[in-house]
This record gives sequence, structure tokens and C-alpha cells, in this order.
Amino acid sequence: MKHQIRVKVNAETHEAQVSSELTLLEFLRDTLGLTGTKMGCGNGECGACTVLLSGAPVRSCLILAVEADGQEILTVEGLARGDRLHPLQEAFLEKGAVQCGFCTPGMLLAAKALVDRQPDPDLKDVKEALGGHLCRCTGYESIFEAILAHPR
Amino acid sequence: MNFKVIGTEAPRPDGREKVTGAAVFVADLRMPGMLHARVLRSGQAHARLRRVDVSRAQALDGVKAVVTGARFQRPFGICITDQFPLARDKVRFAGEPVAAVIAVSEQVADEALKLIEVEYDPLPVVLDPREAIRPGAPLLHEDLGSYARVAGINPCPGTNIFHHFKIRRGELEETFHRADHVVDREYEFPSVHHVQLEPHGAIARLSPGGDLTVWSSSQAPFVVRHTVSRLLGLPASKVRVVVPYVGGGFGGKSDVTIEPLAACLATAVPGRAVRLVLAREEMFDGTVIGRGLYARYRTAVTREGRIIGEEILLTLNGGGYGDYAVNIVGGAAASATGPYEIPNLKIDAYGLYTNTPPTGACRGYGHPEVHWACERQREIIAREMGIDPVEFRLRNILGPGKSNALGQIMEEDHGRVDLCIRKVVEDLAGPRYFAGRGHGPGGRPAVRRGKGIAAFMKAPVMPTNAQSGAIIRLNEDGGATVSVGAVEMGQGTYTALGQIAAEALRLPVEMVRVVPFVDTEVSPYEWQTVASHTTWAVGNAILMAAADVLDQLKVAAGAAFGVSPEELEAGEGKIFLREAPVVSLPYSRLALGCTRSDGSAVNRPVIGRGTFVPSGLTYPDPETGQGNPAADWTFGCQGAEVEVDLRTGEITVLKLVTAIDAGRIINPLLARGQVLGAAAQALGSTLFEKLIYSEAGIMRNRSLTDYKIPGPEDMPLQTRVIFVETPEKTGPYGARGLGEHGTVGVPPAIGNALANALGADFYALPITAADVIRALKGKGGGLRAQTF
Ligand code: FES
Ligand code: FES
Repeated sequence: MKHQIRVKVNAETHEAQVSSELTLLEFLRDTLGLTGTKMGCGNGECGACTVLLSGAPVRSCLILAVEADGQEILTVEGLARGDRLHPLQEAFLEKGAVQCGFCTPGMLLAAKALVDRQPDPDLKDVKEALGGHLCRCTGYESIFEAILAHPR
Repeated sequence: MNFKVIGTEAPRPDGREKVTGAAVFVADLRMPGMLHARVLRSGQAHARLRRVDVSRAQALDGVKAVVTGARFQRPFGICITDQFPLARDKVRFAGEPVAAVIAVSEQVADEALKLIEVEYDPLPVVLDPREAIRPGAPLLHEDLGSYARVAGINPCPGTNIFHHFKIRRGELEETFHRADHVVDREYEFPSVHHVQLEPHGAIARLSPGGDLTVWSSSQAPFVVRHTVSRLLGLPASKVRVVVPYVGGGFGGKSDVTIEPLAACLATAVPGRAVRLVLAREEMFDGTVIGRGLYARYRTAVTREGRIIGEEILLTLNGGGYGDYAVNIVGGAAASATGPYEIPNLKIDAYGLYTNTPPTGACRGYGHPEVHWACERQREIIAREMGIDPVEFRLRNILGPGKSNALGQIMEEDHGRVDLCIRKVVEDLAGPRYFAGRGHGPGGRPAVRRGKGIAAFMKAPVMPTNAQSGAIIRLNEDGGATVSVGAVEMGQGTYTALGQIAAEALRLPVEMVRVVPFVDTEVSPYEWQTVASHTTWAVGNAILMAAADVLDQLKVAAGAAFGVSPEELEAGEGKIFLREAPVVSLPYSRLALGCTRSDGSAVNRPVIGRGTFVPSGLTYPDPETGQGNPAADWTFGCQGAEVEVDLRTGEITVLKLVTAIDAGRIINPLLARGQVLGAAAQALGSTLFEKLIYSEAGIMRNRSLTDYKIPGPEDMPLQTRVIFVETPEKTGPYGARGLGEHGTVGVPPAIGNALANALGADFYALPITAADVIRALKGKGGGLRAQTF
């Protein structure tokens, strides 16, 4: 079964025919070629595929593309303004919160959702917002530091 | 020495790409006409393959090819050629590839897998290496004796032992007779998985001209090239391996994993690219796992607290194919004493075939396993003898002039473990801890706190001739492009190597670019990106290449100035006259051929070449293990403070301290990130991680829900990393390896802290809340726990 959907991804409108089983992650990566969003498990267990759907963090591997119809999506590719990195991206670099970079897109978007609703989070808020996001490289501390220190 | 770039927190060149989603990993690549492969994996842990019928799968619309082991008759293996890309007569672990489908999409391939019929004749299963070593255990490889293997491997045909490594020093019997105290304990470090965030992926294509290209998430592109070229009978020059960014390796993407299979699949559909990206569950049982060691330590000690002898038995779970684990056996044995001088030793390390997925390299490579045992053992000895555990360690510590288990004499520049111990104790202990039993913080009677430390050492485990290369091309703007064969998998190698190149070339770091991928067709050779040896080995190759560049520049500038090159110096991107620095030429003028006033060319383009091989490494003696197989050591110490809730058994790590003598630190931010990341992985091994199998050998926790790794909520409340920087004589600017070392001491430091807190000894990892409760109720027993 094919469905017509219309979504705004990183401020660009896309219309597409998608099958009813296509996940949002597959739609972003395979249909739109936005491969910045990563697949770490496909089961909602790692957080690597996190994007913002109408401002809220979702695991795009668990959502169907058709469910996103009519909504706005922000992926890692949409965080910077042209050449200017988002303050969170800057902070991740400065604090050494990026190693292999595979978890980074999901971490950044979860962090963005947090600071959008709570500009001045404390460590507890940060840990909560990153709940279920796995990073095997950094030991998380630098990620916490980056989010806590990001300039507002 | 005054450094401009070494020791600075130079930014990662891959950083911007990684925070913007532009960094490319294998799964992000799309090739024209690309096909997709999925693998049918054995549901039996040990069985003869009676029949594999693929006819129905082949008939499915969209399927391009279905292949089985019948098609590929050559075995492969890095150390022992004991496996096939697809099982042929027998399967030896659940998860082993039995057939593969190549189709227009993954969905179609998955559909087709369901149509393949396999009949097995089940065989008895053995999962525990302690059972696999017993006479009469189910035999995995009947033909072990006839397998081709590299030098220095000692299999025992007719058994499951694929490698037996021995260390013999001094006189053991007599030593135990004159000992005042003997401690005899057993320890277990279970099998774990690396859980790299990026699933293993490979895309392979056989061109109409007969060239094979493999794009892979590999730490070892040149090992892949070698293996694939032998497997397919192609010259190495016709096999090209390309590695973009890798999303975490930790050893689990080293040597070869899925690449031989991907390459074979490509030959079934010539001209088409075949993509094989593993699902998360397949990473657990379809690649390599890590660790899996049982250890027995019997230690002879004198009244004065000197360890005079030790007998160590190590039994490593190798899984269905021993190939990957062969060198872990020797590496674990070589460091099994920990950083102590023990004059009389008998160490026997066995690698055993069992019906689990094969064991591969895993961050630390045998060292966390043996340190779990030896540093718990040191703590227990000290306690039983009533000696302060810090003092006990220092009385036996390895240092300049003393010899390790291999008979190598330590020198001053090998590093100072004693200093690391003192730094950790100072940071962790305050005046009192090590003396007594744990205490509860004021007003919380149901809580106990305790502290513990563990000293460690690690040497890179590598072939005696592990080679590295570097090529530096000087560009017309005076900047440099550096090519190396090392893989960027998160550790920041291109940052550190760029800093070494910039320092050596006397250029600002922004003027140096390290090519951010490996392509065996153009990158210089590199053994593989493992063993924490890249900064050290490739760094040395870069130093040589940079010196070559500067020599060429000086010869050219000398010709232009009419002076001898010896009168010239390099600095700030210029060649200048030592006596009159204003007489200078910028690199930019010299890079691509400087001309004289009449237009005649002075020089040729500047391309620097550097190579490195560790000098003087030898095979250990087969009977005594004595020799010179380890090129350098990194020493350190880790300490933990824990809090335990006596009602729930819940363990909280309050503080984790690491002091490490990694020689000169090239980039403190990156170095700290390596140590903390490694420590977090080891925290997982200590408190949560263990692969679990059913009796029939089916892995039970093949998902991130069932196999828990540390999440943001599990991190220690406080961490500290202290660098002791004794410069390494053989290292670039005095640097030594540090990527793996943060894993080594964490489990015993926490184990010792728990003993301190609870008065209970834990011998097996992971240590869970349930173990704590059992121990408190006095219901431990076995390797789980014992109260004292
Ligand atoms: S890929 Fe979606 S949560 Fe892991
Ligand atoms: S940086 Fe590698 S998983 Fe987070």
C-alpha cells in the first residue's frame, strides 16, 4: 500500500509516495538521502536515529513515515545555520564530546529538545533527556559537559 | 623541548563533519546498481550440515543469487586457517553463516532467507573452555593438525586446544616449599560484546576487469586485502579496500569479520556492488565477541610480603574458530603477573575451541581479563597477611632494573607504575581507607562505602614485524597532505597524527591535513589500527617522512641560495639561513619546484616517505616464553570508591580515578576522552555485561535491551584522569599508547572497593545487585562471592 505524504524536513518541503511499512528512518536515509541520521539498532534501543518531530525527540526507526505526514522534522543536517554551527554543535566539539560520531546526531537532537524547553538544565535534567541514548566511546561525561556548558 | 603543537588541544579535523551529519560511514554509501545481501545463520551451535536446499529461495522474484558453502572451497584465517566464509560440512556456533541471499532489496533478501531449507545432524555442544579442555569433550576441529598456521602457534591436534602458551622462570616447586603463605583462587571474566554503535558493514564489487573493491567498517584494511586476495586467488594489487569513518571498533572490527563473506558474495554477481550491513542481533552472534577467560592463581609469598612465585592457569574461550583469539592467549600470559617482579613463574595459557561465536580482539586484549584476576589476588594476599595493600604492591612492583615475566629488563623510560599508584592513592584515599572495613556515611546505616585500587600494565600485542608507513606531500601553498594507513574509529588518530606531522614539519596544525580515509590502493601500508600502537608506530613513520621533507626542502633552498643544506634551518613554514634568518624561502615556493631567476628549475616536487617497524622484537621461546615480543609498556593505576545499598544490593560508583604513564601526551582532551571512554566500557564489564547462552548454545541476550551497556545514568559521579608523563624513548616526542589502557584496572579496582565495603570477595564478573545480596546473606559460594 502506498501513501502520499507531505513533510517539512529541515525547512524544506518534500512530497513522496511511501509504502505503509517504511520507517521514518528509512524515509530520511534512503528516500531523501539524509544519511546523517544513523541506524544503530532499528529497535528503539540506542537513540542513534533520534530526530525532532514537531519539536519532540522521537526514535525514527520506530515511527512510520506515514505517521510523520503533515509534520515538521529536524535532523542533524538541519541544526547549523549555513556555516554557523548550532551552539550545541560548538559545545560538543569544544568539550571532546565527539569520538566516532555515530551516536552524535541522536545525542545532539535529544540535547536540542532539552535546551529548547529548558534553557538552563542541570546534570539530572541532562541525564534524563539522554536516557536510552547509548554512546560506547566517550563515557558520556564530555557530552554532559557540552550540554551544560553550551552557550545560550 | 619547546613544543608548538604537541600537548595542545588541537581540534578534531573530523569534528565538524561529525556534528553536522556529513561524516560518511559504510552504511551511508550508495553504489549504482547496488544489491543487498542477508545471511542465513545457523540455529545450531554444533552440527553436521546434512542438506542446504536453496531452490525455493532462488526462485523468488528479485533474488539475484543464493550462495552456500559449496561454492567457496578455500579456508581462511589470520593465524590458523580454520574457517570458511560460509559453513561447509559443519557449523561450530549458532550464528555461523550457512547461506546468503543477494537481492534487489534487504526485504526481498529477508523473504528469501525464510525459503532456504537446512537439515542438521546435531552434535554435542561445549560452551565452557574448562570443559572443552577435558579429554573426551566434544571435538570441534577434527583436522586441527593439518591446518596451515603462522609461526609461533602451538595447537594440540586431537583436542580443542588451538594454542598453548607457556612461561617458565626459575624453580617453582622449591619456591612453594619455602613460602610462608600461599593463596590459591579462581577468577572468571565472562564473554562480552564490544557493542560498537555502528553495525559492521561491507560493500563489495567485482569489476568486469577482475578487480575487487571492498568498502568496509574495518580497523584492518590491509589484513582484509591480504585475506581476501588469498581467499579469491587474486593478486593483492587487484584487491582494493576502502575504509571511511568507522563508528567504533574496540577490536571487534579488527583482523577480518564479515569482509571475506562480502567479497565472496560479490563474485556471485560480477559487476554489481553487494551491500552487507549487519542487524544489531547479528553483531552479537555473527561477528566476534570479546574476553571469556577463567584464571587460577596460586601465589607463594614470604613473611616480609614478597611474592616469590606464582603458578597461573589461563583458559580462554576461543569460540568456534580460534583464529582471532590466538594472540590473546600469549598477550594475556605475558601480562598475567600484572606490574610486579616475580622471580619464579609457571604460566600455562590455553586457547580453547568452544561452540560460541569466535573470540576476537577486545579493547585491552587479554589484559583486563588477567588483571581482574591478578589485582584481586594481590588484594586478597595483602589482607590475609595483614599488610597494607598499597605497601604490598609497592614491595613487589616492577620498575627500572627489574624483569618482567618474559625476562625483559625494565628501564627508566618504560614508565613509572609506582608513581601512578601513589597518585591514585593520594587522590582517592585521604589519610584513612586502606586499613579497614568500609563504613556507612553519617546517618545512612543501610549504606556501605569502600575504596579500592588496581595497578596495571599493558604492552601492544603484535607481530614482531608490524609495519607502518606515512607519505607526506607538500602542497603549493606550503601546507602538507599526510597519508597513513591507520583508521579513524573515534580515537582521534588523525588529530594526533596531524599534530605530530605539524610539529615535525614546523607548520601550524591547520596547514596539515591527514587524509581522512584509508584506501589500500593509495594509502601506505599499515599492519592494522589496534593495540594502542598507532600514535607510537605511525607517529614514528610520520617523523621520518617529515624529516625527509625537510631534507628535500633544505637541499632545494641550499641550491637556490648557493649554500650547503647544513647551513639551513626550518621554522614557521620557511627554510632560512641559520646565521641570517632573514634569508629565507617559504615552503610554498619550494613545494612544487622552485625556479631560479633565469627560469631554470631548482628542485623536484617534495614528497616525504617514512616507514616504521619495531626493532628487535623476537618470538618468545616456545618452552619458556622468554624473549622480546613486547615493544613497550604503558603502566598505570586505577582506583574506585563505591557505595552499596545493603537492602537492594545496588552498587553506585562514586568515583573513578586513573593515573596513567602514557609518556608525552599529544592532545590532552583526546587522551582524557580515550581513558574515560575505556573506563566506561570496563564499568559495563564490571557491573552488567555478560553474554548468556542456552544449554544448546543459543545466545540469549542478543539485543541492547537484554545486553545492557552503561547508559548516561550509570556513570560514576566523579572521574579523574592523571597523566604521568615519563617520555618514551622509542615514541614520537616521547608518546606511548593509551587507547585501551583505561579498561584494564577498572574491574579489579571496583572488586577491591566492594571487598573493602562489604567484607566479601567477588571472583566472577559482572558483579550484580543480586550477587551483593547473596554475599550479604552468606549464600555466595563458587566464583560468585565469599565473605571474609
Ligand atoms: S536505531 Fe533507532 S533507537 Fe537505535
Ligand atoms: S562517539 Fe562513538 S558512540 Fe558516541
